[in-house]
Amino acid sequence: MATTPVKKAPTEARASVFQPMLYKSVITIYRIFAILTLYVVLLGVLAYGFVMGFYALNTSWAAPVILSPTDDKSLDFTEKLVTSRQTLEDLNVDVRRLDGGVEEMNQHRDALLALEPELRAAITREKKHNLATGPQLAELDKQKQADNLKTQAVMTQIKEVEAAIDKDLSAGLITKGDAATQRAALNQAQSSYTDSKINELLLTDSVLEKTTTGTKSMDVLDKQAELASEIAQLDIAIAVAQKQIHEETQQINRLKQALTAAKQSPYYLIASGDSAAYFAFVPYDNQGQVSSGTAVYDCYLNMVVCKRVGAVKQVFSGEEHATHPIFKTDIRGFLVQMQLDHPESAKSKTVFLNRKPLLF
Amino acid sequence: MAPVLVWLILFLCLLISIFKYTLALILKWSVPGTTVKKDYTYQPTVSVLMPCFNEGKTVYETIESISKSNYPNEKFEVIAQDDCSVDDSYEWMLKAQHDFTNIKVRVGRNTVNSGKARSVCNALQLSTADMVISIDSDCIFHPDAIRELAACFSEPKIGSVGGRVGVRNPNENAITAIQTFIYYAAFQVYKVPENWTRSVGCISGCLFAIRRELLLEIEPKIRSRHWFGIPVNQGEDRFLTHQTLLRGYGTYINNDALCWTTVPNTLPTLFKQQLRWRRSIVRDLFYTLRTLPLHVWTLHPNTVLTLVLTPLGAILGLLVAFTMLSGNPMSWAGPAPLVLYLGLAAVLSWVIRKYSAREAVNNPLAFGAYLAWSLVSSLFITTLALCTLDSKDWGTRTKEQEAADGDNTRQEGAN
Repeated sequence: MATTPVKKAPTEARASVFQPMLYKSVITIYRIFAILTLYVVLLGVLAYGFVMGFYALNTSWAAPVILSPTDDKSLDFTEKLVTSRQTLEDLNVDVRRLDGGVEEMNQHRDALLALEPELRAAITREKKHNLATGPQLAELDKQKQADNLKTQAVMTQIKEVEAAIDKDLSAGLITKGDAATQRAALNQAQSSYTDSKINELLLTDSVLEKTTTGTKSMDVLDKQAELASEIAQLDIAIAVAQKQIHEETQQINRLKQALTAAKQSPYYLIASGDSAAYFAFVPYDNQGQVSSGTAVYDCYLNMVVCKRVGAVKQVFSGEEHATHPIFKTDIRGFLVQMQLDHPESAKSKTVFLNRKPLLF
Repeated sequence: MAPVLVWLILFLCLLISIFKYTLALILKWSVPGTTVKKDYTYQPTVSVLMPCFNEGKTVYETIESISKSNYPNEKFEVIAQDDCSVDDSYEWMLKAQHDFTNIKVRVGRNTVNSGKARSVCNALQLSTADMVISIDSDCIFHPDAIRELAACFSEPKIGSVGGRVGVRNPNENAITAIQTFIYYAAFQVYKVPENWTRSVGCISGCLFAIRRELLLEIEPKIRSRHWFGIPVNQGEDRFLTHQTLLRGYGTYINNDALCWTTVPNTLPTLFKQQLRWRRSIVRDLFYTLRTLPLHVWTLHPNTVLTLVLTPLGAILGLLVAFTMLSGNPMSWAGPAPLVLYLGLAAVLSWVIRKYSAREAVNNPLAFGAYLAWSLVSSLFITTLALCTLDSKDWGTRTKEQEAADGDNTRQEGAN
């Protein structure tokens, strides 16, 4: 079989007399290193498996959390707290203002309501009076008209009387003074007639006014309607204001409840910032181990040689989310406040509640 | 800093792998030069060398499958070499020699247990053929395997040719199903870019054809191969491939040359096999790095990348797995990796069912378990391989056997 020429492979270095010793030394070192490495790996694997199993089964661990006023969550909480308080104050002021307004409107309404029956009584009284005096006036009006007709008939003879006066004066039967006196009497009679006509007309008006619904009555009715309208408007305004007061009162109650609940939050403690506070996240699976006063243990390697470092001071009910310190998965739980005798334990990866996890 | 570096290197390896797989698909479908021009009229004489250790009756079945080859019987022979098996392997070899008279079967036996590499060299002493095919004694060969391998040697620059190894027991359990996917993807996709440049980094020892002259030239290196004075008996296939490349020859995988192997069906045997392979990979990486300038100047860049990045990826896998476990242990169990693996399994399953029905996997979901295996493989096998480079056993085939150094040979029953 034909093959192409081949290149020479790289040649091995010439073995020295010390090579076997060197090889033996290298192999010995390698084996020691390999055995150590494998034991380390084996121990590492066992430890890793144990830690995984331990945290999968343990129900008393909690993860310390250091909350700072400058944390996003704390800042957010503080901001909301301030806003809520301001809103509450604004609402209180508004409710007080509305209360005052409603009271004023109620007084006004009461005054209007008191006015209305008086107006109605006056109208009734007037109507009653008109009913009584109207026909009498009408009768008098008729008489007046009849009188005026008679007077008118007499007045048609005035020119003849004047002519007679002039004739008597010319004839010298009367003096000029008598003539002037007679003419003045005639004028007075004419003026009386005119007054009588005026009175007749006024009487007709009065009769019309008393026997029919005139503009004056309409004005009174309009006033009455205006009064009713004003009362109705006040009713609406009062209802609106009362509804607003009711809603704002509810909002105030809700805000007060929220603020009361907020006082139960760890972030409130941080926001008030009056003293150093230590917290720990407790997953729901470990809820059974926690109550106020429960002992807190801190352990070496997060599981052994544990010592009591404090106690649970307060349990917060709000749900929190955290990352599992070992499995790195998202878990749900809540926070507790710890009273720590050893503040450095707040920096541990985990602490244990109620009891030592491995009894030592 | 260190984790960032690890991730960067891993990202680079991943990028190159993606590039390599994409390139593989493009080459496979559109570049004729990727495949060797086979000349079936070219029929050199062939010696099939079959080293054996504790295989029992399987050796008989292996020789039986070779006896049914579509290659002129007068042009090939089987040389079976027993490495002091403690079971009845040798008796089965003799029985095969007796039963399959249509071909020439020669049986030899080492005087002491010497390992596979030296057993091949011992068997080589009996060969006078132009071409040598080293096979695993637990494989079943397709009748066309020898013919297909020989046809590739018509290209003068080709030094070694490998065949495709299929899985005989794909549906035995999840372990064998996973291996079926891995084997198929490795031969049909991963090695295609290497075929393109005739620079396959590792030809499987299950079916390894090489010019005899070349093997004879490399033989002293195989025999003298040691790790600080301790003889190295494993990974002769990777070593032979590497040496072939360094001598300026091409290496190639002919996927039409088929053999079928029974892959490990239990975790311990799989672990042992993978450990043996990983040791071979690590040793090869150290050798490559030690002689990197020679590699860079001599070999095709694709070959250098294959020889460096493949084993480097295995070692980096250890660091990555460690980083992930220490940082976020549950990330391995997350849905994304599982979905990715199951998606790959679905595609591979469909391809295998269509193009190689004999290997069809009934339950592709089993590939999801590869997630757990990849963790074990990355964390433990590499570590163990790095710490047991002085090992001399046969890996999967070791039974109660006192390993002994030396390569004395006692030839028995040689015809």
